[in-house]
Amino acid sequence: MTKAQSKITRRNDVFSGRVATRIWQEQPAEDNPYAVEHSRCHGYELLDLVKKRSFVDVLFLLFRGELPTSDESELLEALMVAFINPGPRHPATRSAMNAGIGKTDPALILPIALTAMSGKNNAAGAVEETMRFLRKQQRRQVSDVAMELIENEVRPPEGDWIIALGFGSYYNSIDVQTNKMANHLVSLPAAGKALRWGQEFAEMIASYDLGWLPVGVVAAVLTDLGFQPRAAAGIYQIISAPGLLAHGIELANKPLTDMPFLADEDYFIEE
Amino acid sequence: MKSKPDTSFWDQRRGKIFSSKGGWKVGEAVYCHGYSMMDDLVGQVTYMQLYMLNATGTLPAKSLADWVEAAYICMSYPDSRIWCNQIGALSGSCGTTTVAATCAGTLAMDSYVYGAKTLVDGVGFIQRTLKEYEAGKAVVDIVNSSGRFRQGKPQIIGYSRPIANGDERIEALERTRTQLGFNIGKHLELAFQIEKHLLENFNERINLNGYISAFLSDQDLEAENIYRIFSTFVASGVTACFVDTKDKVPGSFLPQRCDDIEYQGTAPREVPDKS
Repeated sequence: MTKAQSKITRRNDVFSGRVATRIWQEQPAEDNPYAVEHSRCHGYELLDLVKKRSFVDVLFLLFRGELPTSDESELLEALMVAFINPGPRHPATRSAMNAGIGKTDPALILPIALTAMSGKNNAAGAVEETMRFLRKQQRRQVSDVAMELIENEVRPPEGDWIIALGFGSYYNSIDVQTNKMANHLVSLPAAGKALRWGQEFAEMIASYDLGWLPVGVVAAVLTDLGFQPRAAAGIYQIISAPGLLAHGIELANKPLTDMPFLADEDYFIEE
Repeated sequence: MKSKPDTSFWDQRRGKIFSSKGGWKVGEAVYCHGYSMMDDLVGQVTYMQLYMLNATGTLPAKSLADWVEAAYICMSYPDSRIWCNQIGALSGSCGTTTVAATCAGTLAMDSYVYGAKTLVDGVGFIQRTLKEYEAGKAVVDIVNSSGRFRQGKPQIIGYSRPIANGDERIEALERTRTQLGFNIGKHLELAFQIEKHLLENFNERINLNGYISAFLSDQDLEAENIYRIFSTFVASGVTACFVDTKDKVPGSFLPQRCDDIEYQGTAPREVPDKS
């Protein structure tokens, strides 16, 4: 046996003495170093932001470090309304509903639903990679990418065909509502290269019953607005949070019997 | 005219659940991977055996489950400086429930630098490396070709560790392995040979990831199944750190003054009017 003798020594790594941030400044009260007199977000007094700016503007400011132009603000707000609710059939929403009907602590409904929403199938966990796909592919001709994918990717025998991150079929059809949203968003003044590239790509693959998926639209808008891919999953979770919570709370006051509990004959245990 | 899309795949599954794991047939039995839970499992197997059965679909020998349980203990330090544990402690400071805190801290372990997810890469490394070794590649070449170097030291998944050099858990798990009657298999033997080379040349040692990855590879477990087995690896330590702060005065855990946060951002400025 060649096992080494165990000996544990401290590495003495140098850790930072305190946390640093470029986002938020809390100025203490004169008589109490723990109490806050003023808070500033990227240099702007919070109370002034409260008086002069919208929630969407300050959300943009938090992540980008600057206030958005009115066009950027319009695009982000439109995106947030478009995807405010994944809908009552989405697995994340159904997780919220299960928590609600099960009388889970209401404060935990949203974290539960957002955890489900962290997944990579038609959910926030796929947005980061989709942004990286768009950033890379938008340098190429749409037709080249579309042809390459259609020729090389294989339609799966069962379920939907995700031909590229953010694009594919939805129950074997084009996701009509999402494509309508994309049509609107791409018409806004702040729409940029990623949205336009995605729109052209969606049109090119439409004859195969493929098109934009929500993850693709969210990724394209966040790319055009300059958000970091690493923040994208969380931004999509913020966008979808109101719908998830509303559906969970709607069922929180109802009896357990107000949601289906499948009969044994509809529950199949496979050998 | 355009044909209707084929939705039969979903139509066949509407209003039905198809489970390959098991389920409760009311008044008949609770089935779990072919076992009757109340007749074959309760009182017959340990909780960790059941945990591994549910995670992998295979009921392991009690000795293997006991070893995995020992590994779980090795990840249950009640030290709130550790990142996931501190989330438990901070949750206690916020006054969450025990379940919320334990879940939050456990979620934090889904990390690329520590916790169960890193075992996927650790298992991948040792299983791939054993094939290369058996094909004739020397340990020195395995180390030199295994990845990047930092400050002159090879950065290999499963070797070296933040904060400390060496890993007290290896000795404890080695003792457990011997007590439970497990021999050193090919993966673990190679893992120790790599450690010997790293220790002699770079003063670095195997860490818990490298040891678990090698030992469980010798038990024929696949990477994804190992990740699934360890999905609540840190939960107990998180719970301990939560309880420690929940039972104390709110806000007493690591309080910070405003100037304990170093602001490095933009200087104060006026909010422009919206155009």
